Amino acid sequence: MLLQVDNLKTYLRAGDRIVKAVDDVSFTLERGEMFCLVGESGSGKSISALSIIQLLPRDIATHPGGKVWFDHRRVDGSIERVDMLALPEEGKRAIRGARIGMIFQEPMTSLNPVFTIGEQIIETLQLHHPELPYSEARARAVAALEQVQIPNSAERIDDYPHRLSGGQRQRVMIAMAMICEPDLLIADEPTTALDVTVQAEILRLMKDLQQRKGTSILFITHDFGVVSEMADRLAVMRQGKIVESGKLRDVLNAPQHDYTRQLLAALPANLARTRPTARRSTPFNAVPATAETPVKPNGEQALVELRGLQVYFPIKKGVFKHTVGHVKAVDQVDMRIPQGQILALVGESGCGKTTLGRAILGLIGATGGEIRFAGDDITGLGRKAMRPYRRHMQIIFQDPVSSLNPRLTVANTLIEPMAVHGIGASKDERMEIARQILVRVQLDPEYLWRYPHEFSGGQRQRIGIARALVLNPRFIVCDEITSALDVSVQAEILQILLDLCRERSLTLLFITHNIGVVEYLADEMAVMHDGKIVERGPTEQVSRNPQHAYTQKLLAAVPRVKF
Amino acid sequence: MSDVLAVNKNATAPGPARRSYSAQMLREVYLKFGARIGLAWIGVLVLVAVFAPFLANSHPLLVSEGGTRHSPLLRALTAADVSLLVILAAVLVLSFLRVAFRYKVLAFTVIALTSSLASYFLISPPQLTIYEQYREAETAGRYDWIVRTPIAYSPKDYQRDAGETGLQAPLSDPARPHLMGTDENGADVLSRMIHASRIALGIGFVATGIALVIGVFIGGLMGYFSGVVDMIGMRLVETFEAVPTLFLLLTFVAFFGANLYMMMVIIGLTGWTGYTRFVRAEFLKLRQQEFVQAAVACGLPLRSILFRHMLPNGIAPILVGASFGVASAILAEATLSFLGLGLVDDPSWGQMLNQAVQAATFNWWMAAFPGGAIFLTVFAYNLIGEAMRDAIDPYLKKTA
Repeated sequence: MLLQVDNLKTYLRAGDRIVKAVDDVSFTLERGEMFCLVGESGSGKSISALSIIQLLPRDIATHPGGKVWFDHRRVDGSIERVDMLALPEEGKRAIRGARIGMIFQEPMTSLNPVFTIGEQIIETLQLHHPELPYSEARARAVAALEQVQIPNSAERIDDYPHRLSGGQRQRVMIAMAMICEPDLLIADEPTTALDVTVQAEILRLMKDLQQRKGTSILFITHDFGVVSEMADRLAVMRQGKIVESGKLRDVLNAPQHDYTRQLLAALPANLARTRPTARRSTPFNAVPATAETPVKPNGEQALVELRGLQVYFPIKKGVFKHTVGHVKAVDQVDMRIPQGQILALVGESGCGKTTLGRAILGLIGATGGEIRFAGDDITGLGRKAMRPYRRHMQIIFQDPVSSLNPRLTVANTLIEPMAVHGIGASKDERMEIARQILVRVQLDPEYLWRYPHEFSGGQRQRIGIARALVLNPRFIVCDEITSALDVSVQAEILQILLDLCRERSLTLLFITHNIGVVEYLADEMAVMHDGKIVERGPTEQVSRNPQHAYTQKLLAAVPRVKF
Repeated sequence: MSDVLAVNKNATAPGPARRSYSAQMLREVYLKFGARIGLAWIGVLVLVAVFAPFLANSHPLLVSEGGTRHSPLLRALTAADVSLLVILAAVLVLSFLRVAFRYKVLAFTVIALTSSLASYFLISPPQLTIYEQYREAETAGRYDWIVRTPIAYSPKDYQRDAGETGLQAPLSDPARPHLMGTDENGADVLSRMIHASRIALGIGFVATGIALVIGVFIGGLMGYFSGVVDMIGMRLVETFEAVPTLFLLLTFVAFFGANLYMMMVIIGLTGWTGYTRFVRAEFLKLRQQEFVQAAVACGLPLRSILFRHMLPNGIAPILVGASFGVASAILAEATLSFLGLGLVDDPSWGQMLNQAVQAATFNWWMAAFPGGAIFLTVFAYNLIGEAMRDAIDPYLKKTA
């Protein structure tokens, strides 16, 4: 047994309150084992890991009870069992980095930008092995980089972190954590900030290293798909306690605790498909009958239509800022979204999907092509000319923190757009509409008088939906609206959204990178890569039988829960 | 659905409930020790400035002359005195009323304008004031009794009747006690100090106010529209930054003579560039925020996007800058007066310092009191500014 955590308690002081972040947690970790801690945000999984490696600030965190037994293998090979909590600071330092390595979530900030990656790796190594000469330390660092599959590692070792991509930085972090060949590696959500294809590579690498080196890994994640690919054993955490633990197969197939069952049921893949498939044939009465509305041969009316849409950002150089080239964020995109349909736009970060969504609403100017809404050309309309269309087209954003004005009450946020567009005759009437819409997104109508900072992420996202709904729009762009949310909250939000679509016959452009959500929600999906749509079709067809090479790669990389 | 609602109710953060961001910020400023001292000093200064005629005046508060009682002081009040009193009363009443902030601002503006216009046209104090008459009448025994203000001298009362030679040290003559001595013309220093606080406060607020309005407006447009507007605006900012304020003031004084209002306007007109840069940077950042994009997507008018959604979120660093700006405006006026280019006869702290330098002997009371007042006031504004900066800076906040 390499690590044995006995009744660990970690209390954090927040102002005058004490938060029991980790409350009586016990688990063990064998040598060479992959153990996953799973839980939603705030469940105490990261705090548990930081308590083990003792990285919590001492003036905030206290350990009123518990032991963290770790088999400390000394340089001479002798093994001593130590309690990490009781060890003096020098003892902890000898173990950190040398015997226990750690990888953090955010690869962009966990490397120091003013040192080359080589310097950072070699420093760790020489700190724990001061007898090593520099040349040998450097050779070992190169070997470590090779091991994490950094191409040309002998040259890349002198690069600064900004020259590496996110995935490469995470590889460097792994190399740095593994350089002293630790017995235990703690990985705190190491792939959450990465794209799925990169995530798949990193996961494969970690699994491979674990098997080759016999390192134990404590893997912290919120994603059951990742757990199902990685874990030998797992523990589910909730509010500082482990509610269930056991072998991967046992927990996934026969969860004992209610919370585990809820979590598994909230996975998009397991959500009950309640939506009627024949929804798109529903007639929509509110469409103003415009004579010139193009009716396609198949009889479906396109609510939003893009023809050769381009959004280019100029790259300017030199003293006179002349344009030397363009970043083609959206490149010749043709798209039709029929009335009442949910189209999912899938792609990895930087592929231009967000830009496309904003360009449709005119928040980013299009450099070429045509955007048609209900048959009218709305490309490049001015503020005034655009206003009548604004109430029919709305957007819901990804980040629940920045998408609401922190200085306005919910009531003000909801009522102002109504007043501008002349919805509701008086303030009281608008208030009543706002109340009804809050109830519709399952919030207490009394929340009208609160400020955004008083709400949780999921509640804010509901307010974001409510803001889009007050104008009674026909088309909503949902820009990664569930990416920042826990899986159970995500399930609730998706349910609300689906119900609303059915009720109001909404047309959605659902931008996401989460394939599970797409399969649950969308009628059609389009895959975007480098500003171009590479494949589109009915969701079932594309996800079951992808034609384009990129789609195949993307779908293969998605970690799925295998029961 | 009801059980979902119940869960959500429980999930609401228990922390500081129902308090807006600005209220929270003000609370945090108020909790700082330095800020409290600063606010206390500014508060004292405001009270002293408003009630200056009732604190230091040669006109008696109340006299009884042959059985009839009258108040020479009230009769001698100027239009400025009256409107300041009305405005202070309005501020106090409005701060206790429970109405929306913008209605308060509106009501305040209306009251301030009407009261100053009304008092300007309605109140005409005697053109010629003879301060000696009350002292002569008193010694002649014409008054049954007399109630004086705490300091019985006006700032321009040179006490020629008493044979005042000027530059009398504090409390040197028990017959005619001057707490802070007299200046070279024989006027009471404390009285001049009290009346000079009006200029110190006025120039700070008005000059900074003018600079703020211009800076926020131009900076807001530059930040929101960016592109060409930003480029033109930036060139304008650079042009104005190249103007040396002090030398411009010197030139104007040389050509048009010393005028307090002109000084305020010039300090304001040359001081807006700093605020413009602040606002522009804030707006450039805010424009990309999703709630601003949402406001655009809702089709809200530009006025609302700029001033309702963006400005309140970007105003905090500007207010911090403004509190330092008030301090530097006070210093600019003091500098001018010290150079002898300020107001001629009216009291001002800088002008008193100038007298201290010009005198043949070193009269400590002429230097220490006005110098100390300038120091304390500038220090107080800096303390407040610093506390505000700490309150809005998320990095300095304890994350525990």
